[in-house]
Amino acid sequence: MMQVQITGTMVLQIVVSGLLAGGLYALVALGLSLIFGVMRVINLAHGALLMLGAYTTYWLFALFGLNPFLSLLVSVPMLFVVGAVLQKLFVHRVVEAPELSSLLLTFGISIFIANVAMLAWSSDYRSVEFLTGSFILGQIAVSKPRLISFVAALGLTGLAFLLLHRTKIGKAIRATSQHRDVAQICGINVRRIDVITFGLGAGLAGAGGSLVSTMFAVYPEMGLIYVFKSFLVIALGGAGNYPGAFFGGLLLGLVEGLASLFLTAQLSEVIAYIFLVIVLLVRPAGLLGGRT
Amino acid sequence: MMAGILWLLLAVMGGLAVLPLFASGYIISFTIQIFMWIALAGSWNLISGFTGYVSFGHVAFFGVGAYTGALLVTQAGWHWLPASLAGCVPAAALALLIGYPCLRLKGPYFAIAMLGLNEVVRALVSYFESFTGGGSGISLPPILSIAPVYYAMGGAAVAVTLLTYRIITSRFGLRLLSIREDEIAAETMGINTSLMKLYAFLLSALFPGIVGGLYAWYSSYIEPLGVFPLLTTITMIIMCLFGGKGTVLGPVLGAVLLSVFQELVWARFLFVHQAIFGALIVAVVLLMPRGIMGVLQERYRLPRTV
Amino acid sequence: MRRAFVLALAGMSVSLLVLEWGAGPTWGQEPIKIGASISLTGTYAKPGKYTQEGYLLCEKEINDKGGLLGRKVRYIIYDDKSDPLTAIKLYEKLITEDNVEHVMGPYSSPVTNAASTVSEKYQKVMMASLAATTSIWERGFKYLFMTISPAEVYLEGLVELAAERGLKTIAVMNEDTLFAKAAAKGAIELAKKRGMQVVFHEAYPKGTTDFSALLIKIKSLNPDVITGGTYFDDAVATTRQMKELDVNPRMYGVTVGGDLPEFYQLLGKTAEYVYGSSQWEENLLYPGIKEFVAAYEKMWNHEPAYHSAAGYGACRLLAEAIKRANSLDSEKIR
Repeated sequence: MMQVQITGTMVLQIVVSGLLAGGLYALVALGLSLIFGVMRVINLAHGALLMLGAYTTYWLFALFGLNPFLSLLVSVPMLFVVGAVLQKLFVHRVVEAPELSSLLLTFGISIFIANVAMLAWSSDYRSVEFLTGSFILGQIAVSKPRLISFVAALGLTGLAFLLLHRTKIGKAIRATSQHRDVAQICGINVRRIDVITFGLGAGLAGAGGSLVSTMFAVYPEMGLIYVFKSFLVIALGGAGNYPGAFFGGLLLGLVEGLASLFLTAQLSEVIAYIFLVIVLLVRPAGLLGGRT
Repeated sequence: MMAGILWLLLAVMGGLAVLPLFASGYIISFTIQIFMWIALAGSWNLISGFTGYVSFGHVAFFGVGAYTGALLVTQAGWHWLPASLAGCVPAAALALLIGYPCLRLKGPYFAIAMLGLNEVVRALVSYFESFTGGGSGISLPPILSIAPVYYAMGGAAVAVTLLTYRIITSRFGLRLLSIREDEIAAETMGINTSLMKLYAFLLSALFPGIVGGLYAWYSSYIEPLGVFPLLTTITMIIMCLFGGKGTVLGPVLGAVLLSVFQELVWARFLFVHQAIFGALIVAVVLLMPRGIMGVLQERYRLPRTV
Repeated sequence: MRRAFVLALAGMSVSLLVLEWGAGPTWGQEPIKIGASISLTGTYAKPGKYTQEGYLLCEKEINDKGGLLGRKVRYIIYDDKSDPLTAIKLYEKLITEDNVEHVMGPYSSPVTNAASTVSEKYQKVMMASLAATTSIWERGFKYLFMTISPAEVYLEGLVELAAERGLKTIAVMNEDTLFAKAAAKGAIELAKKRGMQVVFHEAYPKGTTDFSALLIKIKSLNPDVITGGTYFDDAVATTRQMKELDVNPRMYGVTVGGDLPEFYQLLGKTAEYVYGSSQWEENLLYPGIKEFVAAYEKMWNHEPAYHSAAGYGACRLLAEAIKRANSLDSEKIR
């Protein structure tokens, strides 16, 4: 066995690929954070929604040859509708209930969606072979699909921020997440905001799925791992702290990459979770502060 | 009313005690698994049903117990029964280590931290390969008769249920319930909530450890992915919730009914049973959040301590 | 609203039930019953399905040729959800309630490990068609038979080939599960024996999707050969990411993954020049293979994978053993 000499180039390479992965985590986590911030609901079905986004892109690509990045225009609105319907039919009933109800409810929805997907499309692995290979910059390889997905994720995150800060609905969402009752007293239709928020969160998950499909295999149970990662991101960035979700995402990508470079892939999981528990204990509001 | 229930329970237990004498291997195996779920759902009930703190990684204690039992049998040459009982020691230690800091976390953060705990323990078990066999798992000697496991697992199920009864009729139980209803108010009343929560957490970790050890012996093979799955935690929760959380017989009813239901559903509807399970979770959460026992208690004015 | 919701739930369940109705097999007259549990759902659903199709094709062929010992053969197959606990219960059910004569193995090493204790206890023959890890066989079971070659030799061909070509260094990675680990271990031992230098070995947890760090470490050592004990999704991911990170060894091979038709369908051109490892290929020149492939494609409308062939083969083997023993007695079949 030879000792791996870790060089500056390798670290740089990992920093690049870690950040690229992190941008995607941020996008997915932002959706989860939005829903949590407004309703205090941990949406375990987030991964299933991501999977639906990924399949949307896959089918549009496989059947019509549609550019996977263009299919965002389909997957985001579609998942918005799915999310809004879920909220209207099921989730609104547990918004005020203890967190166990929402955890279980969304887990049940997630199993249901994943298994219906399996019935409909089988559990075969599929992939969108649209762009492969990388740009070589000096000694660093930058994967083409990852770079483009990263840029798209940044763009979508930016759009979400514009929406939250510049539009009336966005302001109403932020007001509701700051204080539900007061927002209601001020004349905000909180129920409607819930529906829109869940739709938005689902849309972001769908976008994440579309982008993931260009890099990794698409299959019915692909989503769960992103839910876990989003928890980490939210804990790092602070729940309900939307810019925090963004930086938390990038941070997680870096930590994971560096931990598996210097240690092993197995320990990187442990490191990430120990990091999470420490952050939760020392700064329950997240590294960047947020609401507890 | 109470007496009637008691007689019914005694009759059922008497029947179960002689079951291995005439039932087929399949029925015995099926019943062992129901016992296992009763013990697990009942244990989860002790922390989450009583205090409202959702332990989303309870299977970690089960897994740790399974590894302890398996290692004691294969490495130290112990008999399977003491080896399984010993499974509660590391489970309790883990509960203390994790419970002390994590029980301060409120609401969803505790749930997330517990979920994380399970992942960490699993990753560590995989990593310390020379000790645990890593991803290769551990093979135990095959068991030739499952009747002893049946009684051991049944004993665990009964013990958990008795413990729950003991707690619900004690001041300790009332203190735990007051934490669930309003933790700040409970603290103001002079209850040492941190200590109470830690006790409950410790108690809820003991039996999953033991049951894990029994599971290792029963299945004769364990591996990290097999003994730390998220789905096991979810199943415990659903069973407890379906039967009625914070009650004595709730986890028992939930475990029995859901196991039987799953068995019937599988036999017929191969590919959709998981989807049905998902729909069932949704239905239970929305339509009967207090579970069967909750409904029964309301309708028939049963005492709180059933 | 509440009613609409209940209706929606009910509708959901009913539509699901209808979907599944009427899938049951038809009953023959006193057939010889062979039982198996297979992973039709869950982690191993994909290769599990190939195995099941192999079993069923074999059942059909035996019956078309007049059955076994003058009786028809009927397979009873349950789904174990890729879960060992469920498999134990199902094998108990098969043996004690369905009264099957013998059983075929489930898919994957962990499930076989747990399930074989049951068949051993009842002294029923188990033809373990798809469990390739030697540790299972080291438990001294008397009624358990193995039909595919052990995991440790999966990568033998690759390593031999590399050693013959005079390649010097090899890097090994594997998923941290029973089978993949054993395959990697076998590769390492053989490589050492053949005088190659093992420059790197690291395991990664099941479910890993991003292999950048691992591959970069390997790249820095610049080994001649890279090989992986993989299942399927990880084989696809590593192959893709190697291309993206510009990792170019002289030889690269995986275990499960490179052998499935889907590997090529998924990866297209990227899949070329990857060595796979298979227990069986349709262009091998053994008698009967062409017929098998033709019959398989006719019955299932897609190509077989080696899992299908292994399932089919194990089933034929059991039939042959029963024929030669001229009895269903476990002791005689052994």
